Amino acid sequence: MKVTIHIWDLPHRLFHWLLAVSVAASYITAKIGGSLIDWHGRLGIFILGLLIFRIIWGFIGSTHSRFSTFFPTFSRLAAYLKGRWQGIGHNPLGALSVIALLTTVAVQVGTGLFANDDIAFEGPLFDFVDKSFSNKLTGLHSTTFYVLLGFVVLHIVAIIFYRWVKKTNLVTPMLTGKKEIPVALAEAMAITPDKSFGPMRFILSMIISGTVVWGVSGGITQLYPVQSQQQTAQAPSSF
Amino acid sequence: MKKKLTLAILLAATGTAAIAGPIEEQIRFRQSAYSFAAWNVQKIKSQVVDHPETYNKDTVTAAANAIAAIANSGLGALYGEGTDQGIGWVKTRLKPEFFQKKAEVTVAANTFNEAANELAKVAATGDVNLIKTQFGKVGESCKGCHDLIRIKE
Repeated sequence: MKVTIHIWDLPHRLFHWLLAVSVAASYITAKIGGSLIDWHGRLGIFILGLLIFRIIWGFIGSTHSRFSTFFPTFSRLAAYLKGRWQGIGHNPLGALSVIALLTTVAVQVGTGLFANDDIAFEGPLFDFVDKSFSNKLTGLHSTTFYVLLGFVVLHIVAIIFYRWVKKTNLVTPMLTGKKEIPVALAEAMAITPDKSFGPMRFILSMIISGTVVWGVSGGITQLYPVQSQQQTAQAPSSF
Repeated sequence: MKKKLTLAILLAATGTAAIAGPIEEQIRFRQSAYSFAAWNVQKIKSQVVDHPETYNKDTVTAAANAIAAIANSGLGALYGEGTDQGIGWVKTRLKPEFFQKKAEVTVAANTFNEAANELAKVAATGDVNLIKTQFGKVGESCKGCHDLIRIKE
């Protein structure tokens, strides 16, 4: 006997797919360069917003979005590796993957904010650091990309492994939010149907992440103006 | 112009790099050239892409001409044997592979030259949209060399 439960709430799913698409688009725009580097920058700021949202959602989202529900503690990991773990959302190994992916994306966004490409692009917070430090962060931004790529590949390989070896479909629940689990497990976990995530919490999360995005994409420089190279460049010259 | 650059690169390749002086001097000259180019790139970026309301045809045309002049100056002569090591204004970031990738470098350098010359042409028309598009192509051509032979920090 199986029972269908709500596992991933709508904001969680939207976050997931928007992140996937944005990261892919960031890669493409960076690879091509030229005018698209400006879109790379915009995507980075958008991803920053997604990350801030996800972090807040990790505290006030619905059950399986919360870090406390799935955080890969040693005891959970040990139980999982001994085959004694029982649960519904991210399993402890999957949770490690979640933490790794979120952290790496955060490093990419964080370094990107201060980066420059030595051509025609500067991250929105470039003016707050000096050029040589920006160059270092840019270097880190390029290297960390390969770490992120590694985690993304691992993530996809794990999904394929679950599909073909463990006969578990992980993609559909991330699309529909619903998952079929054995009744016994549902009873063991004392599942209460949890599909409500509270619109007020969602609005609060959106306001906070929106404010950060606004601050980074120009708000901070409006409040605390810094002399940028470009302002110097615009000054007309008589000779 | 293309021939001149190719010739310059070939000259450098045969080890007669003395034309541009000692290693440190070559590195310093080329770093200065790109640094001056960067100033001009910033002006165009600012007036054409970021704040088109500040567009000034004279400033942008002058900037585009300066970039084209740098591109046409035969920069290849500043990449003599041994210039992958050394300090100009700062330590050079030229990859040693530069000397094994001459053919690819020539293609990338010529792409930059063509893009820069086209930008100068387009700048003279005063059509901001055209300038913007061509400016993007110049950026891509910069990246062409950076990805090929420039060390990432």
